[in-house]
Amino acid sequence: MIAFDHVGKRYRSFTGREVRALDDLTLELRPGEVFGLAGPNGAGKTTLIALLLGFLGPSEGTVRIAGLEPRRFIERHGVGYLSELVNIPPAWRAEETLRRYALLAGVEPAKLRARVDDAIERLGLGEHRGKRVKQLSKGNLQRLGLAQALLCEEQVVVLDEPTHGLDPVWTQRFRDVVTALRRDDRVILIASHNLDELARLADRVGILDHGRLRRVVAMRGAAPPPDGAAAPYRIALARGAELVPDVFPHARDVGQGELELDALTLQEINAGIATLIARGALVSLVIPAHSLLEQQFREAVSAAGAEAT
Amino acid sequence: MSEAGTKRRRARVGAYALWQLRDYAKDRGVPTFIVALLSGYLGLSPIIERMPTRADEVPAGVLARFGSAEAVYAARMLDFNHAFLRGILGTIVFVGALFAMNGIVANDRKQGFYRFLFAKPMTPARYYGQAFFVHWAGFVAVMIVLGLVYGALIWPVLSRPLILVIALMFVAYAGIAFLLSAAARWDWMSLVAVTVASTFLWARYGESTHPLARLLVLLPPLHRADEVYASVSGVPMYASGAPTVIPWSLLAWLAGYGAVCFAAGLVVLRYRRLAIV
Repeated sequence: MIAFDHVGKRYRSFTGREVRALDDLTLELRPGEVFGLAGPNGAGKTTLIALLLGFLGPSEGTVRIAGLEPRRFIERHGVGYLSELVNIPPAWRAEETLRRYALLAGVEPAKLRARVDDAIERLGLGEHRGKRVKQLSKGNLQRLGLAQALLCEEQVVVLDEPTHGLDPVWTQRFRDVVTALRRDDRVILIASHNLDELARLADRVGILDHGRLRRVVAMRGAAPPPDGAAAPYRIALARGAELVPDVFPHARDVGQGELELDALTLQEINAGIATLIARGALVSLVIPAHSLLEQQFREAVSAAGAEAT
Repeated sequence: MSEAGTKRRRARVGAYALWQLRDYAKDRGVPTFIVALLSGYLGLSPIIERMPTRADEVPAGVLARFGSAEAVYAARMLDFNHAFLRGILGTIVFVGALFAMNGIVANDRKQGFYRFLFAKPMTPARYYGQAFFVHWAGFVAVMIVLGLVYGALIWPVLSRPLILVIALMFVAYAGIAFLLSAAARWDWMSLVAVTVASTFLWARYGESTHPLARLLVLLPPLHRADEVYASVSGVPMYASGAPTVIPWSLLAWLAGYGAVCFAAGLVVLRYRRLAIV
């Protein structure tokens, strides 16, 4: 559905210095999937999205949506897009904003009011519908931006930092909204710094750094760590915490009754916990210190950093 | 997956014209009205003492020429209108075009409003092209309202040729401004620079026989705009001035230049990328 083929993007500064924002990026996003995009600041996420929407042109390679050049596809079908910065003229009112964008999204006149009311309801903007954009809080503005992106049944939905500024309640509801958006013929691209959010929502996550796609991590149906692979863990004990240093000599107290263990294989962690239980300890928690995605992210970014130096 | 499985959708840009007209009225029309009103006041104040009244004494020869005191008064009011319009039309049309076109494309690009707009199924050329025509209609409406106000307070001034000239001279300036806004970020400054430069260069080198002077045809002949305004400011009847004729070829050159610039702006919008890097 969406294909980046050896895409590069170079900028030239006023002084003539060339900056490579993206380098030889090849990636395919399939219909029906939620694809996450992670990367540190300046990794190239925003450039990639600007290329996907045709707001920028690639310096090398091609970008295609359903086989078409991005602007051609968007001018024929539209996309649902929430930008990182929600830029809406400040004097517009919330409901007016949605009515305007609904017209431009091609919503039929007979359905326009219902579609706008539905978006207002879905994003909890009822009490703010008459407010001007400049009067909205950051979170409400973000929800308005999300509402305009969801006015139509788009086949391509691009959400750039969608939970930026949302409170925990709306962050959770946002996950429900994205879950409800899943459809066999729809591609959803979410760019975010929030790895936990991507891990919960995405089927695959691409990790960008220094303009290169470092790796793509499959999140759904991910296999357990292979035999022999070591990872750090956190444990907590309801009883017998004093026994831990004997079994795991490098355990560190990380507060709130939790201890972090050095990188261990599955066999090592299981053997250690069995020993603790045999000695009378009561284990209340064992979790990986970092999620699979976080671990992959750290490895990818540190490898990229080493490569850059 | 190919495009074949996707349903085509079109933005209802035509219906959106009402929102664009509302935006023009609020953000540009009202300031244009106020500035034009103030300019009108400033244009009137030096000549207001010379405004004829029905109580003015009419020499017998003049009375015989016009047939009645009322006809003499009407002729003198037309002369008064002529003096007023000659002094003010150029300024109002230029400022109105400047207000109407300032940032019409560039502001959306600078402030990032383009992102949500052009994720919708429409082209920038279609959206901004329509905005040009809506602002044009809005400006002409403001001018008609001002003309009616003047007519109610002073003397009727509106005529079809006057409205036509105002509308076409708007295109002369606004077309250039549209192209500059589509192509560059600092559009209003560029419009002022182009206007000043072409007026100066035409006035200074327009008669030159130097081969390079031929390049002046590339610049709009804005130095002759006054001839167009003069032709629709009214006939100075009382002073027995020669009746004026609208210089259609000059007007066509000016408006045509603006129309070509507008078309070039649409081409720029078709091919340029909207993001500012």
